[in-house]
Amino acid sequence: MVRRRAAYQNSKSPRRVRAIRIIERVALYAAVLVVLVVVLIPYAWMLSGSFKTSLEIQSADITDPELAPRWIPRTFTLDNYRNVNRTVRILDYFVNSIIVSIGTMLLCLALSILAGYSLARFEFKGKGPYVLSLLVTQMFPGILFLIPYFILFVYINKWTGIQLKNTYGGLILTYASFSLPFSILMLRSFFATIPREIDEQAQIDGCTPVGALFRVIIPVARPGIAAVGIYAFIMSWNEILFASLLTGRATKTVAVGILEYITNQEARWAGMMAACIIVTIPVLVLFTLIQRHIVEGLVSGSVKG
Amino acid sequence: MEAPVRSLAGAAVQRVSRALTRRRPLPYLLIAPALLGTLLVHVIPIIWGVFISFRDLDIYTIANWRGAPFVGLGNYLEALDLADPDGVLFMRSIANVVYYGAVTITLGYVIGLGVALLLNQRFHGRTLVRGLVLLPYIMPDSVAYSVWRFIFQARVGIVNSFLMSLGLIKEPLVWLVGTKTMFAVMVASIWKGWPFACLLLLAGLQSVPRELLECASIDGANWWQRFRYVTWPHILPVTKTLILLNILWNFNAYNQFKVMLGDDPGIYAEVPSTFVVRQAFDNLRYGLGASMSVVLVLMMTVVAVIYLKTLKPGRSVED
Repeated sequence: MVRRRAAYQNSKSPRRVRAIRIIERVALYAAVLVVLVVVLIPYAWMLSGSFKTSLEIQSADITDPELAPRWIPRTFTLDNYRNVNRTVRILDYFVNSIIVSIGTMLLCLALSILAGYSLARFEFKGKGPYVLSLLVTQMFPGILFLIPYFILFVYINKWTGIQLKNTYGGLILTYASFSLPFSILMLRSFFATIPREIDEQAQIDGCTPVGALFRVIIPVARPGIAAVGIYAFIMSWNEILFASLLTGRATKTVAVGILEYITNQEARWAGMMAACIIVTIPVLVLFTLIQRHIVEGLVSGSVKG
Repeated sequence: MEAPVRSLAGAAVQRVSRALTRRRPLPYLLIAPALLGTLLVHVIPIIWGVFISFRDLDIYTIANWRGAPFVGLGNYLEALDLADPDGVLFMRSIANVVYYGAVTITLGYVIGLGVALLLNQRFHGRTLVRGLVLLPYIMPDSVAYSVWRFIFQARVGIVNSFLMSLGLIKEPLVWLVGTKTMFAVMVASIWKGWPFACLLLLAGLQSVPRELLECASIDGANWWQRFRYVTWPHILPVTKTLILLNILWNFNAYNQFKVMLGDDPGIYAEVPSTFVVRQAFDNLRYGLGASMSVVLVLMMTVVAVIYLKTLKPGRSVED
């Protein structure tokens, strides 16, 4: 049956074969186009909304053809960007996010470089279970320890006087720990690709193992370290659940700050779309820089979606 | 006679002590800071959460949790009490999230696989397109779901506008309140989630040797037979891992519901995460919330163990 089909195909005239091939090509490009349109619609709607006046969005009405929402703004305005810090202090939140994300990145890198080096270069008892525990921790969603963690902050404050709630430090500690498992596993595999002879040579030349890490391994693994750092940055930039409970007026991050545009009284969609653009840009830029590494990491391990 | 022995023994002791102080502790010292972070942020709270779940801890007793009345399994019985409206809502939230997960994971996987097969073909601009399909995955959750919230607005949103222009509806539909809420969140979540599946499946597809596919077509295998017998075995391991990860993450989905529907998504879109957060931080019943979290951990563990036992995923893509 299959044979007969193949024979039938062979018997087709060259012209028909070419016609089929052209139709296939057209169908392929059409399918790709559909995928791209679906992917881009929310981006385009966000961009278009950010240039509309509040009046245009608020008075839009799909039941009235005159007022139906349009892709091209009726009156093009930059006011949403100019007044971005006015109704909601999104620029202040942006600064908070930058501080928290960079802090997370640095703390996470400091801890995961040491741990990753340990896993890549030493054999020790408990190594297997530790790696397993990293994989398990990574699976644990935040909601499962959110409540006791929140109460822990209350007690740390009570016992030591250190306030972690509504501080950059508390948030940085939290997010750094969240990104640790993936970062450690990634750095371990980056370090493992560096030939052992290089740091053994450094140790023969008088370096301690820790010295070899700082003088040899870290400089060689710089691209991998940058990728992991950016991963930690993006993770803390995007986190919502813990940020909504652990931040206050002074430390609110953009991920929760954006939600303030919609209140019970009014929905400021135009301002919100402009804020969305501003919040997305750093992530887009950084992700583009490390796309290759993250994709590799996704494939070999897994990153939280 | 005595001196060399003593020096020998001394050397041995010295060697051992050097090995202990210089070699042995180093790997442990290196992982210690990271371990401390994990202990403080993950392990201690998880264990403590179990203790809290046995107490009626609320806003009055939070400053002294030992003073909170010990209620044994009381919180658990309350959380699972179907005679109590809250107990019913908790059950409903679990049913909702199972429904949500079943639909979004399945459709996300099917779309991801379809697009992965598409992007595995040769065409102009393939590298660019492969980058562009990641855009939904890259967009921060709060941004993506805010934009979808805008898109689903009844009077100013483009979903209703599109449906009306096709003549499918006469009146604007209300998506974000009432019965259609879950549908709206599912659409947004699928849009956001499929590129992740696509990315992993594309990597799996690239591990299929071209010669094998060519051999199969020479032998007369049709499109479906080539997919079923050559491609599928290669993407099965990544599929199993992907589905497991999606089950674990979706069971605790929070962001999409919180951003699109607010703190109280309503009965049609209530999920365990939003419910637990409200019980703990709006109703200030920390003990009850903690017990619900423990119930969720147990359910997740059971699901994960059954999944791992029956399907045995976890082998890497290369296998």
